[in-house]
Amino acid sequence: MIGFDAILSAFIAALHYESIAIIFGGVLLGYIVGVIPGLNRAVAIAIAIPLTFYMSAYAAIAFLIGLSKGTAAGSAVSAILLNTPGEPSSAATCLDGYPMAKNGKPRKALKVGLLASVIGDLLATLLLIAVVIPFASVALKFGPYELTAILVFALVFVAGMAGGSFLKGLAAGGMGIILGTVGLDPETGAARLTFGYAELMEGVPILPLVIGTLALAEMFAQLDEHRRNKGASVIKLGKSSEDSLSYREFKSTLPTIFKSTGVGAFVGALPGLGPTVGAFMAYGLAKRTAKDPDSFGKGNPNGIAAAESADNAVIPASYIPLFGLGIPGSVSAALLVGAFMIHGIQVGPLMLREHPEMLFTLFSGMIVASVLMLVVGWYGLRIFAKVTNVPPHIVIAIVIFLCLAGIQVQGYGTFGLATVFVFSIFGYFLKKFDYSFVTFLVAFIVTPMLEMNLRQSVILSGGDIGILLQRPIALAFVVFTALMVLHLAWTAYRRWLGDRLKARQS
Amino acid sequence: MTDTPRKNFWSGLGVATVSVVLITWIIPTYGGSGFAFGLPPQLLATLGAWLMLACAAALSIVSFITLKRDGKPLIAFPEFGHFWHQTWPFLYVLAFIVLVDRFPLTWTAPFMIGALLLILGERRWHVVVLSSIIPAAGLYGLTAHLMRIGVV
Repeated sequence: MIGFDAILSAFIAALHYESIAIIFGGVLLGYIVGVIPGLNRAVAIAIAIPLTFYMSAYAAIAFLIGLSKGTAAGSAVSAILLNTPGEPSSAATCLDGYPMAKNGKPRKALKVGLLASVIGDLLATLLLIAVVIPFASVALKFGPYELTAILVFALVFVAGMAGGSFLKGLAAGGMGIILGTVGLDPETGAARLTFGYAELMEGVPILPLVIGTLALAEMFAQLDEHRRNKGASVIKLGKSSEDSLSYREFKSTLPTIFKSTGVGAFVGALPGLGPTVGAFMAYGLAKRTAKDPDSFGKGNPNGIAAAESADNAVIPASYIPLFGLGIPGSVSAALLVGAFMIHGIQVGPLMLREHPEMLFTLFSGMIVASVLMLVVGWYGLRIFAKVTNVPPHIVIAIVIFLCLAGIQVQGYGTFGLATVFVFSIFGYFLKKFDYSFVTFLVAFIVTPMLEMNLRQSVILSGGDIGILLQRPIALAFVVFTALMVLHLAWTAYRRWLGDRLKARQS
Repeated sequence: MTDTPRKNFWSGLGVATVSVVLITWIIPTYGGSGFAFGLPPQLLATLGAWLMLACAAALSIVSFITLKRDGKPLIAFPEFGHFWHQTWPFLYVLAFIVLVDRFPLTWTAPFMIGALLLILGERRWHVVVLSSIIPAAGLYGLTAHLMRIGVV
């Protein structure tokens, strides 16, 4: 186990000026991306991964985590000033942020949002650090049987909780599993679904896959909806003294921030739910428990505080299953796995044994990122307010260019460009027909791990897969999986019956 | 229900068709073979395809019943204008990829960005010029000077 000296040196490394500069760059870029409506966290990480190729593993991951955190905080700016959330998870912020800004208090609304974001993020990061080490220590004791059962459970859980139809979620999971098996079979050495392309021998390259399905497909969808936001007016920041946030006003939002951070952290720790669910759950809770629930939706600062703190708490909390078990619970966590893979590091409990210094340096880097979020957001408020004016068609054209540039810079060549194009069509299909992208990506990422553990289980048990039922932890997860499938199927059936009944009555 | 049953029906049918092709042809032919003590090379991909088939078929059946019950038609062709609006960006990027395959991205990018901006209705020449040149110049600086991998 890692000693105190190692932890201390990890923190010192994170506080080195080079490290701070990289995290600052990530947070700043994330903030700008978050502010621009239509560009979301996943797009930002997907197009930023190529930039990190020439960084050290720590610098790359710290940059991407800073970017992810900055995006979450920055998306509140466009939600408040433009009534257009930079991220879907900031939609809850619009409910009170925009009315408050319209009532002549845009600066106050932005500062409440920023402080709630930073506190939510910081507390959830501390929770991550406190929880993940014991979690990973226990997970290290799991064998292939337990891990197989846990991975199957996680896939079903993500498919069920990612929103939308459970059937579509599972179908998307199936697509991810098939693509996850492409490449050389580790046991027989047989080439699987490579169609003779040497580029596919090591599997579907993750960068063209994420850039195509996430960034390029998103831009095609944005082009489709381009006309919708035309004519949206931005609220300008004034200099009125009534518009500044007093300590008393901030203090009154603190209980809401703490409660909502708890909600966000809980939601984030469960794979698949994501920040949108967390933000709306926290908003609902704040409204229900408020003394003046009627003021919500009309510019109540507690509404902004609830949505923003929960939204930002989800991100660090979603790294609990990632670092604890190696299971990415969200799209941004899955993209981080991709970045770790590119740098040759297997993310999960093994990091605690093999790269403990890196794990602790990352954690301290996350705390630094939280503090930098406050600095960037506080002093850049006016500049970011101006960034919301960037017309979406300029953003779309430049992001399409960046998608292709990311592939070219990495030397994927024609094969990479063709792959990115094919995956952009695939991603557009997933988006338009509402197939869970997170389930697809999580399935794609965890399939090699699932296959390895399943293979080891089969070999160790002499071909008797029934051994899963003789191991208590594995059995528990098999039972959870069965219960989960039954519950989700029953819920879907009842919803279908309800719709049928409604249709008959009308 | 938030999903459109017709969309679900056709997407389910499409996914089911793809999974049938995967199960009957692609995985058996290209999925790899060889003796394995643990898992056969095709097993997980086949399971994934069966999962897709089962879910997509169930989705199609449920949506079909809903459509029939509501008396709505199974087929509704989109308007040509709407279809074209969704298709042209793909064709534009595809044409651009063909171009990038022959000429360096750094030189072709300003034309790609500028033309797209013009198509999207931007008429301020300084915006078109700056938006086209700055990213390409950034790429040139990154690849030719910082990464030293040459002009891509």
